[in-house]
Amino acid sequence: MTISLAVPDILVARAKSGDLEALEALYRAFETPVYNLALRVLRRPEDAEDVLQETFLEVVRSIKQYRGEGHLWGWIRRIAVSKALMRIRRDQVRDADELREESLAGRMGTSGVPARIDLERAFERLSGTSRAVVWLHDVEGYTHEEIAEQMGKTVSFSKSQLARAHARLRKLLDVEGVER
Amino acid sequence: MMHCTMDDLLALRAGEGSVWARQHLDGCETCGVELERLYQRVAQLKALPARRPARDRWPAVRDAIRAERARRRGRWGALSIAAAAVAAIIVFRPFGTGQANAADLASIKRESATLERELRAVDPTARVMSGRSAALAAALEDRIALIDGELARAGLPDAPPRPDELVKLWQQRVDLMQQLVGVHVTRAAYVGL
Repeated sequence: MTISLAVPDILVARAKSGDLEALEALYRAFETPVYNLALRVLRRPEDAEDVLQETFLEVVRSIKQYRGEGHLWGWIRRIAVSKALMRIRRDQVRDADELREESLAGRMGTSGVPARIDLERAFERLSGTSRAVVWLHDVEGYTHEEIAEQMGKTVSFSKSQLARAHARLRKLLDVEGVER
Repeated sequence: MMHCTMDDLLALRAGEGSVWARQHLDGCETCGVELERLYQRVAQLKALPARRPARDRWPAVRDAIRAERARRRGRWGALSIAAAAVAAIIVFRPFGTGQANAADLASIKRESATLERELRAVDPTARVMSGRSAALAAALEDRIALIDGELARAGLPDAPPRPDELVKLWQQRVDLMQQLVGVHVTRAAYVGL
């Protein structure tokens, strides 16, 4: 999803002063991109809503530190990504997902009944870490270096996760035979 | 025949493919199709519709902000009271020009308290202000907070301030408070409130 949202400097200045209406205006401006990013990475709407709330509380607490370098969305997105990744680690979603992912892939390969699956569903069946890497790299435009930094991992880890995730997506879609 | 791995395809997409992978791609239709499918997958991911939250979380965020502000005000209030108490103890000790300083300090503190009441009457958190005024108010509040911190530290036994220093700090606080009240009163008058 491409974000071309520009926020007036005056609104940021008012938000920095603690003006609640300005803070709400910022919330409204970035509510959807933050929620969408969190939902794609975390999959569960309730988790994404929690990340949305945590992200904006952090925005309110830290906005005085935003010096206007770079787009405000980039700054807010970094907070949102951090919150989402923290949730993946905290909930240990990754391990549970990977088991589920393998199980689903195995079942589909032997069922012989090709339930239709699209890319969105296939993407949701990836592990939390895989979803985060694919979404950040391929959709949000993060570099492997940036992903590695935010995840506290190496560049090689980010690259291998991306390759692994695409191989799984390809397999999931190929098994169902609906990839276009 | 050996084909490109997903790592190879991703590297090719990023313009970082190995010499072998590039040469292989030129002559391999299968790998060409795989690379195209990779491009298509990413394009489809980018084109997924944006999802919106089912519930409005702003009220929860707003309530949390208000609660944090109330806690912070309480903390600074307690610090100010502590600082005032320490100041009173120091000033009323019998020392050199203590009597003069005590009178000055009492007067400045009364002025500060009056300004605090004026500021509360204007209710600065309840209304919208221009970006310029907001930035000015924020800067003044930051400076007042710094002085409150210094006043609170003045109560520490290891380095008690001289009475004239204390008077100077309180005077600075009053000056800043006057400016802050001025910003809010001007704005309230401008919007007719």
